[in-house]
Amino acid sequence: MHRLAVGIDLGTTNSLVAARCGAGVETLPDEKGDHLLPSVVHYSAAEPALVGSEAKARLIDDSANTVSSVKRFLGKSLTELRRQNRHLPYEFDAARGDTAPAIVTAAGVKDPVQISADILRKLAERAEHCLKGSLEGAVITVPAYFNDAQRQQTRDAAQLAGLKVLRLLNEPTAAAVAYGLDSNDQGKVIVFDLGGGTFDVSLLSLQKGVFEVLATGGDTNLGGDDFDHILADWMRTQLSPGTEPVAVFNARLLQIANAAKHQLSSEDEVELSYGEWSACLNREKFATLASELISRTINTCRRVLRDASLSVEDVDNIVLVGGSTRMPVIREAIAEFFAKAPLSDIDPDKVVAIGAGIQADVLIGNKSADNFLLLDVNPLSLGIETMGELVEKIIPRNTTIPIVKAQEFTTFKDGQTVMSLHVVQGERELVADCRSLARFELRDIPAMVAGAAKIRVSFQVDADGLLSVTAEELSTGKKSEIQVKPSYGLDSSVISEMLQASHDNAQVDMEVRSIREAQLEARQLIDAISSARDVDGALLSENESDRIGNVIRKLETAMTEAGSNQIHALTEELNRVSGNFAAQRMDLHIREALRGESIGNVEET
Amino acid sequence: MQHINKNYFQLFNVSESCELDLDSLAGKYRELQSDVHPDRFANAGEQAKLLAVQNSSYLNEAYDTLKSPLKRAGYLLTLHQQDIEHVDQSDLSMDLLLEQIQLRETLGELPEDESALADLASLKKQVEAKIEVCHQGFADNIERSNYHGAKMIYHELQFLYKLLVEIESAEELRLGY
Repeated sequence: MHRLAVGIDLGTTNSLVAARCGAGVETLPDEKGDHLLPSVVHYSAAEPALVGSEAKARLIDDSANTVSSVKRFLGKSLTELRRQNRHLPYEFDAARGDTAPAIVTAAGVKDPVQISADILRKLAERAEHCLKGSLEGAVITVPAYFNDAQRQQTRDAAQLAGLKVLRLLNEPTAAAVAYGLDSNDQGKVIVFDLGGGTFDVSLLSLQKGVFEVLATGGDTNLGGDDFDHILADWMRTQLSPGTEPVAVFNARLLQIANAAKHQLSSEDEVELSYGEWSACLNREKFATLASELISRTINTCRRVLRDASLSVEDVDNIVLVGGSTRMPVIREAIAEFFAKAPLSDIDPDKVVAIGAGIQADVLIGNKSADNFLLLDVNPLSLGIETMGELVEKIIPRNTTIPIVKAQEFTTFKDGQTVMSLHVVQGERELVADCRSLARFELRDIPAMVAGAAKIRVSFQVDADGLLSVTAEELSTGKKSEIQVKPSYGLDSSVISEMLQASHDNAQVDMEVRSIREAQLEARQLIDAISSARDVDGALLSENESDRIGNVIRKLETAMTEAGSNQIHALTEELNRVSGNFAAQRMDLHIREALRGESIGNVEET
Repeated sequence: MQHINKNYFQLFNVSESCELDLDSLAGKYRELQSDVHPDRFANAGEQAKLLAVQNSSYLNEAYDTLKSPLKRAGYLLTLHQQDIEHVDQSDLSMDLLLEQIQLRETLGELPEDESALADLASLKKQVEAKIEVCHQGFADNIERSNYHGAKMIYHELQFLYKLLVEIESAEELRLGY
């Protein structure tokens, strides 16, 4: 029996739903024949929520009750929302904390999960109407860069809408599925996704029906809108503003630029005019104006190839996603860089939903799954805070998921019984520069000397990209576990910024890291010597004791102000001046151990 | 389905050696992943799903280890009871350290613009050649069951691969991306 399952592209601006209809998978239209559902929801006291173009019509006259681009709100704190969207027309519920923002509407308080659920519900109703039956499952697409919180909230929204989530699927992977299965492709595929305001590139490997994401990259400050701005800027240099206000002037230029850009997709040249001024713009001139933007897209492709250790010749196909890939200048630049033309048979606005629909059909069991499997990677490194506020990466970015990785940590102080674990996400070396995902504590560690306890921390990322962390003290088997469901997270623009920053700051980070490590090493040595003096200070001559004390003071000063070299040098010196003391202690303890007392006992007395 | 905990080489049904055919390893990986991946159990019970996540993770780790020459070498050593996390002085020769310092200095002294690209390329070639020699030496030592000798070469390889990454990021810096 054919079971009904759909693929949903839950987009920032528009959403789509696709399902198998006869031989192929297609996007489903509403009763007016529109496939794209604007991702806008309008709330009122009397009626049920309006979703789509009816809601969009209320954006101007009832902005406080009309929510658009809710995808940008998923997994965010209120502070982040305010920072990224300066002019939000909404009233946020003051009773909610910063980490769980919700909008006060005429229909009550609505959080991003509920609003997303309203959009999903509308799409599900459309599908049940078209397919004449009830849905048994859905595949929902998310940007490859979506972090844990954003994926979790997407999943929660689907559940709230009464959908059974078969899988969260990365958008580029879905796009490749749309092409890959229908034409039985083999080889390496670049998915080039240029939307209105964001840009993502993914490199996938398709072989024997298995899709693997090899690497992803992006630039979220780059999109089709930037091409409008470039064109508008150029016009501004050619003419002088009329009498109208600057804001109106700028808006009109953007309008003209946008129209010209679209026209250039089908024509070789267009006539631009504003007031008295007019000019002719051909594709070549447009390409020259936009050359910096175009080379940024190509450089991202280059970087993604490098991340996967592949070269241009290894790429067999290029898939286009997003309306901005309709621009011929983009298609030509891609064709030139990869030395082959990109695939463009499927509407770049629908390709993600269609891929999700195909995958839904497989997962629900309608299609033999024997030769079809999707493997994904985690988009950002996951790590843990170690001493000195450094990050120890445990799962590097672009690792194929699901994955479990474990790492052993130890106590830093004698007799330490509590260890707090701080899980972070990001590429930078310092905790402060990464995103905090969760903190938890492992208690009742048996008291031992520093470094003797062994704590194994395991990270598990499942196939949807969701993380859980377990910590275990190995000698006692004491366990602590957390499902990481951070109350807020990163959006793809933040991730992209963080990746860029990690690149820009690699050098600085290395220096800071080496200072921190030197400080840490020095601190450990000072602590060890101090506690040894407390126990065996009698072994030291006054002279020796003074000398050691002197170097410790110098080292402590250096730790706060000097560079790593000087800290290292003084640590070495401290090692040297205390060497004799260490040897004497060793002798003493061996003698005592031979008398039948363990070294441990001696240390504790 | 059972819980998988085989040695990585046995899991892929290949002999425990340094040389592996990566294409056939990739094929085998996909075959195995097709059986254990959680997507195969999208409609199954919680227990089966959990097991699928564990097995699929184990397989990913195994494949990740075997396909990388350095990680594969490290894994071979751990199979022969060598503690690769722990490095002591007997594992590193003075010559090696001096050579590493010298290579690093060469890298550090290159000008920070495109004029360094040719030198970077030749330094990269030099390091790649050393890596190849090391892998040969590593294989010979494993063959002769000289695991400490192999461990010394493994640590040298760690240095060299790290250097290679640094050369590549130096290239990226100069290419401006």
